[in-house]
Formats: sequence, C-alpha cells, structure tokens
Amino acid sequence: MTKTEVDGSGGDVQVLGEKERLIVVSEVRLEQGRRLARIVVHEPLGRRAWRELLYFVLGGLLTGVAVAFIALTMFTGIALLITFIGVIIVAASVRGSRGFGRYHRALARNLMVEDIDEPEPFASKPGFFGWLQSALRDRVGWRAMWYSVLKVPLVIVGTWFALSVWIDAFFCLTYPVWGSGNTEPKGFGVVWNLFPPGYLSIGTSGFLHGLSIFITGLLLVLLAPWTMRLIVRLDRWLMRLLLSPDPVTARMRTLEDDRARTVDASVATLRRIERDLHDGTQAQLVALAMRLGQAKEKLAEPGELDLDQVRRLVDEAHRGAKETIVELRDLARGIHPPVLDTGLEGALSTLAARSTLPTELTVELRDRPTPTIETIAYFCVAELLANVAQHAQASRATIGCVQHGQWLRLVVRDDGRGGARPSAFGSSSSGLAGLTDRVHTVDGHLSITSPIGGPTVVTVDLPMHG
Amino acid sequence: MTDAIRVAVAEDSAILRDGLVQLLGDRGFEITEAVSDSQALRASIERDLPDVAVVDIRMPPTFTDEGLRAALELRQRHPRLGILLFSQYIETRYAAELLAEDAAGIGYLLKDRVADVSDFVEALVRVASGGTALDPEVVTQLVGASRRSDSLSGLSARERQVLSLMAEGRSNAAIATSLVISEGAVEKHVANIFTKLDLPVSQSDHRRVLAVLRFLDS
Repeated sequence: MTKTEVDGSGGDVQVLGEKERLIVVSEVRLEQGRRLARIVVHEPLGRRAWRELLYFVLGGLLTGVAVAFIALTMFTGIALLITFIGVIIVAASVRGSRGFGRYHRALARNLMVEDIDEPEPFASKPGFFGWLQSALRDRVGWRAMWYSVLKVPLVIVGTWFALSVWIDAFFCLTYPVWGSGNTEPKGFGVVWNLFPPGYLSIGTSGFLHGLSIFITGLLLVLLAPWTMRLIVRLDRWLMRLLLSPDPVTARMRTLEDDRARTVDASVATLRRIERDLHDGTQAQLVALAMRLGQAKEKLAEPGELDLDQVRRLVDEAHRGAKETIVELRDLARGIHPPVLDTGLEGALSTLAARSTLPTELTVELRDRPTPTIETIAYFCVAELLANVAQHAQASRATIGCVQHGQWLRLVVRDDGRGGARPSAFGSSSSGLAGLTDRVHTVDGHLSITSPIGGPTVVTVDLPMHG
Repeated sequence: MTDAIRVAVAEDSAILRDGLVQLLGDRGFEITEAVSDSQALRASIERDLPDVAVVDIRMPPTFTDEGLRAALELRQRHPRLGILLFSQYIETRYAAELLAEDAAGIGYLLKDRVADVSDFVEALVRVASGGTALDPEVVTQLVGASRRSDSLSGLSARERQVLSLMAEGRSNAAIATSLVISEGAVEKHVANIFTKLDLPVSQSDHRRVLAVLRFLDS
C-alpha cells in the first residue's frame, strides 16, 4: 500500500503534503530497519567477526604463556632479590615482557586493523651493569608486563562472556545432529546461564524440541560477534594504553627533534648572513678600496694629472660607499630589526608603511609576547608582505595581529589572484617553507587558504610565550 | 697592443667583476672575457686561451670551491695557463692543493689586495709569466702552522722576513725593494737561509717557493 502511493507520487509531486511526508518518513525508517537487519545477519559471516574470534583465542593463549613466564620470573626474582641473581632475573623478566608485547602488537596488526606503533627499541648502556640498569628502567618493558597481567581478567571475562557465545551457538546449531531424547546442549556461557537451561526449548524431545534449540543457536550466532567485539574493543584500548610508544620517551624525542630543527634553522640563518656579507658588503668594500687605490696611484703618478679620470674614480667610490651603507643597514635589520625593541605594534606599523601596496594594520594585544615570538611574528609578516608584493598582483593587503588568550594570531590577507601554494613561494630557505619551520620551532602553526582568483589568507598562530 | 697580457676574469659579484675589468683595461691588459661562473670560465678558456685567468674560488652554483676545481682542471689541460685564485678568505688547504704539483704560474691572493693596485698588477704579471704569487696571509698561516718552528727559530728576524717574501714568490730584486736593502744583501740572506734550513739551492723563483713551502709543510 504505502509503497504504491510513494511510487505514484514519485517525481510528479513537487511539494509534499502531510500524508506524503509521513509516508516518506516511514520509508526512511523502513530503510534504516532493513540496513540494521542486514548488518545483524551479515555480521557473523563477515571476515571481521572471525578474525576477532581468532585474535581472542590466540591472544588468550599468548597471554597465558606470557603470564606464566612473568609469574615464574618475577616470583623467583623477588624471592632471590636479596642475592644479586634475583636482580638479574627481574631484569630478564622485564626484557621478556617487552618481547611478548611485540608479539601482541604483531597479532593485533595481522588479525585486526589495529596498527600500534612500535616503541623505541631497547637501548642498552654498555657493559653488563649498563644492560642491567637499562633493562630495569625500561618503561616499555614494564608497561608491556602490566599489559600481560591486566589482560588476564580480560581473557577470563571474555571467555565467559564472548567466547562462550560462539561455543554455545556451535552446540545448539549442531544439536539436531548429535542430540537425542532427553539431552540438552550443555551451555556454560553467561547468556546461557542468565536464563533457565534450555530456554526456547519446547518439550524434552521430538522435532519441535530439536528445532527450538537450533533456533536458539541461530540467535546466539547473531549475538556472538557483538559480545566478542566489546571484549576486543576493551583489549584494543588496553593495548593503545600500554603497548604503544612510551609517552614520556615520545615527548623527549619530539623535543629532541625540535631542538635539532631549531639548531638547523639557526645554522641556516648564520649561513645566509655570511653569504649576504660575503657577496654583498665584502665585495662592495673590495670594489671601493680598488677604486680608491686606483685614484691614489693616479694622484701619485708623475706628470700631467688626468683630473677627469680621478674624479670619476672618486665618484664611483663615493657611490659605492653609500650603497654599502644601505646594504649593511638592510642586512643588520634582517638580523634583528631595531624597531622591534619598541614592541610588535610599532614594528608591524613600520612594515605596513614600507609595503609597496596600501596595507591596513589591526593590532589587539593585551600582553607583550616574548622577544622570540615578536621576532618570528615580525619576520612572518615581512616575508608574507614581500610575497604579496611579488606574486599576488594584489591592490591591497590587511594585517591582523590579535591575542587569543595564550596565543597570538597573525592574519595576512590580500585581494590578489590566489592560487598560492607553499612550494610556489620563494626558495625553501627564505620562502614560506622557511617560515613554516621557524613557526614550528615554537610549536606554532601556519596555514594558507588561497583559492584560484583569491583572496589569499595566511594565518599564523604563535604561543605568546614560546 | 699585441704584447699585452691576455686575462680572463671569473668572478660572480658583478660590481667586482666590472671593477676588475676596468682596472685591468686601464693598466693595459687585454681582457679575453669576464664571466660569472666556473662553467662559463671553462667554455671561455677553450674558446680563447688567455695568458692568465683571475678566478674567484667561491662561485655559483654551490658557493664552495668550484673556482678552485675549475682551476685545477684547466691547469691539467693547459699547463702553461697562469691561474690567479682570488678569494675573500685564505684557506691553507686550498693553497696546499693548488701547489701540490707545481708553483709555476700559480697565484693565490686575498681580494683585498686589489686595493694596492700596483702590487696586484705586479703579482698578476708574475703569475702570467710563470712565476708564483702567494698572499702574505697564506705564508703567515703556513709559517704559523709549521712543525719546523725549531729550525725557523734559528733564523734572524731579517732572514725570516726574507723567507716570507720568498715564499710569496718574489724575486730577489722585489725583496730588495720591499725591504729597502741592496740586492746583494738579499742574496746573502737567501744563501744563509738555505744553509740554515738545509734546503737545496735553486735558481728559479718558483722552484724556490716550492722548496720553502715543502719545508714549511713537512
């Protein structure tokens, strides 16, 4: 009925009336119901359910072995702790636990899509005592030991609550084959025990009795993947918590990376300054000295003095000296703009004023950021404005510099042609890539939106006190 | 101007290149070509072999020592080509590499030296005619780093001055002018130095340079 009506109105009726709307709603409900039914029916046949079952069984066996090993070594080790040999056994126990952790991760990776990163490899200090110390302090090993231990209750609960459903289902489904007379399948799981034994069984024998137990089996099959999934999900959570790379070590590694990047960045900066000095100022000064040297020798020459030539040389030297002064000033400003000493607002307004296109500046700062942040912010804006002038074909630009709590947000916007990509900006050392590196050294972010046709908006977030 | 010394210039800084071309032209040299990188220098030398090439050590694209590399390569192909390397810094390592085989027609000067135009021109002429011109800075560094300081301390102050000037590649006449003494006095000092340091006596200036440098380096 419903179906025909919907079909009848389909396509022709533009505006739906109340009745049709209800019909459509019920149609949606129906569709949702169908989808749910499909999931419920398909799930026990899906690869995922079987992989999870296999994972649970193999993982459980592995846990058994691991816990036996841990119990044996730890008890012996602790009992013998008063002697030196006990310490060695405990250390070996930690190292062994690390190994079991690796097998657990491999199992999860191969049977499920759970890809847990490998922790740092075990780094031993030199010598036997170094090894002993490193092993006893190995956080990854201790955490892996905790995982094995905490997994024991999970395996027990899982066996009773999830594995049992599969087993009960198997016995119920096969009941018509092996069952007869007064027998009933021996259920042992939680689902079975929640109800009086043999629920849904009709009578104690006969066709109906067998059929009802078979139907129970079917229902259990539908249920089994879900209880198993719940247990496996708990296990995955535990894994991510205890078998992943150690957060303390990971943080240390991030800090080390950051420090290396900062050092690289400062080396790059020094190199750039050296290059500028070498190719610019030094060359200028050599040329200047050369001209003056020539003029000096001309003046010292005996005989008729070619005043015009000397005047030309001095003139060139004079011009060279002035150019060198300008170049040095620009270079010094590139290293540390003196205007920054008076604060970011003043420095940014100088930048806006110096820009080749009309630039509007908004600054809202309650606190003063640290000098490092001010310097980075200044160079970001300088570089971005230079990019706008060079590439964007814009008619105007705006700079926003606003404090949001502990963050400083810089927004540079232009009305140019857009289409900017990080790689398209300048060279990697001086362009946007260099800026991004610089921003990252203080845990900041840089993002660009630049659709074709513009506008281009570059947003830089910096911690106020980085 | 058929007997003018022919010079090729390789220098990446335009301002210095133009200055050099102007200065050398003014002093009666003939410039075959002035280029800005080592690749162009190689091509230029193949096209029109000059008497001497003034080469900046640090040039594009890597800005390290491509000038030196090009110079060594060019010397292999044209043993009679004089090379005057020109740099903002003195690296003793470069000097050692450059002088490894022969000191004839080799020069290595700080760029600053162009300020004293006559000295620079004199050094260039020397290199072009198969002599040697080492920057005083190179010699100072070599003397300073030498492990023969015990032998060197046996020399008088004047003898040490003469040794340094000799290592720079100057002739007896030039040493005499520079120290304002007679050429005869220079000859006597040189003979003393060779005896005290136990060096083989040689007549030509560039062999003398090599002998002194080998002594300092050993």
